[in-house]
Amino acid sequence: MENKKQSLGSMLLGKWDTKTIVGIAIGAALFGVLMDFGGIKVTTNTSLTSAYVVLPIVGALFGPLPAALTGLIGNTIADLIGGWGFWFDWSFGNAVAGFFIGLLPVYGAKIADGIFTTKHAIIYAIVTIIGVGLGFGVVTPVLTVLFYSSELTVTWIQAWAAIISDASVAIIVGIPVLFALAARNKKKTNLTKED
Amino acid sequence: MDDRLFINLSPGSTYLDKLTGKTKVRLFFAFIILLIATWDMRIIFPTLILTIIGLSSLHSKLKSVKAITIFVVFTNLLNLFLIWIIEPDYGATICGGSTVLFQFTPFYIVTGETMWYFLVRFCKMMATFVAAMTFIQSITPSELAAGLYANKIPYKVCMIVSIAFRYIPDILRDFQAIKISMQARGMELDAKKTTLWTRLKQNVLILVPLIVTSFDRVGNIANAMDLRGFGKNKTRTYYAEHEDGPGDRQMKIFYIFLYLLILVVIAFRIFKPSEFEVWYPWS
Repeated sequence: MENKKQSLGSMLLGKWDTKTIVGIAIGAALFGVLMDFGGIKVTTNTSLTSAYVVLPIVGALFGPLPAALTGLIGNTIADLIGGWGFWFDWSFGNAVAGFFIGLLPVYGAKIADGIFTTKHAIIYAIVTIIGVGLGFGVVTPVLTVLFYSSELTVTWIQAWAAIISDASVAIIVGIPVLFALAARNKKKTNLTKED
Repeated sequence: MDDRLFINLSPGSTYLDKLTGKTKVRLFFAFIILLIATWDMRIIFPTLILTIIGLSSLHSKLKSVKAITIFVVFTNLLNLFLIWIIEPDYGATICGGSTVLFQFTPFYIVTGETMWYFLVRFCKMMATFVAAMTFIQSITPSELAAGLYANKIPYKVCMIVSIAFRYIPDILRDFQAIKISMQARGMELDAKKTTLWTRLKQNVLILVPLIVTSFDRVGNIANAMDLRGFGKNKTRTYYAEHEDGPGDRQMKIFYIFLYLLILVVIAFRIFKPSEFEVWYPWS
């Protein structure tokens, strides 16, 4: 495989072709459904959900901004079919967390080409904790105050539960999934892409 | 994950079905924003009644809503119970005051204000849920994309929302297919024969092929869209969107009224905030 140098900006934005659009859409649908039905309840409206496996996959295949959009649209879809009301503060928290989780291609983990090493896994774990902490510990509470002022005490409890449960799912389940995906894609790399 | 996911793929024939996607999207957002903005029972209760009328006007599809409604009522009651466990006197800061009705221990008390807050919250969540159900049941994925596009959202984003919406029943179908094929290979999912923990673990095992097949399908869908010239031009039109009918003109007056109400509610919250978040009738 030839190593094309991409600028940081284009890596952050991802490539906006049809494939990316479909990828975000399917990621968001999976995220929404798993958020509602693929988890065990921890506290009010927060659960140990398998949805957080979707974000690293979208991030690895398409980049950080698509992962952020997956979190944003996915969480809104989860609210739509979940029936617990609409919490757009959490949608934006998920978007920030998704952006950080999806930073994979920026530090060189190219899952599509089968590149994912232990070093990448460690960076991924640290970035995930920072991202989830920033998303649910800062962005969500700030937006909660702006949108729904009375809900802050509940949000703090939920935020801690969400940080711990979502970060652990993204790391403990996410890293093996990323290794498996990388190994699966490695077999294909003797083929070169024709332009 | 059984019969809870249902998306309407062909437009129906009732009053709400016949509205354009644009009107449906605007009406839905009017209801949702109003319900987020207010904690006042005098607004929430009429809204709940209106959304229930809306849902029952789609009478042919009521059967599919039953299972999820039971699930949602249960989830909401559980949420309220968890709030009560964490902070039994929750209503004190929100409604102002704590009239003790009932006392288990000095900490676990049942106050009138907390109960009123829970009632308001329950009505608010149910109104949001019924509005969401009415919206899902009356709109098709194409109409959703058309409706969002008519509200000046870039069409690539509309397409994302529309595909995601359309893909939900496919996830259900794949989940069932994988579950059946794994059971055929000897995986025990019967509640009577296995423990809850093993069943949970086996459900996680279903998720892996579910996620992998879903992302494998991305290439196919993207190719099909590219072959039809998706993304070539800056704007696009939709077959699903039609001219405004009489219903659209009536609903336009209604949603303009709702948006004005939202402005009034928000203005009151900014310029003349009441002492407590939730209006309590007996204080």
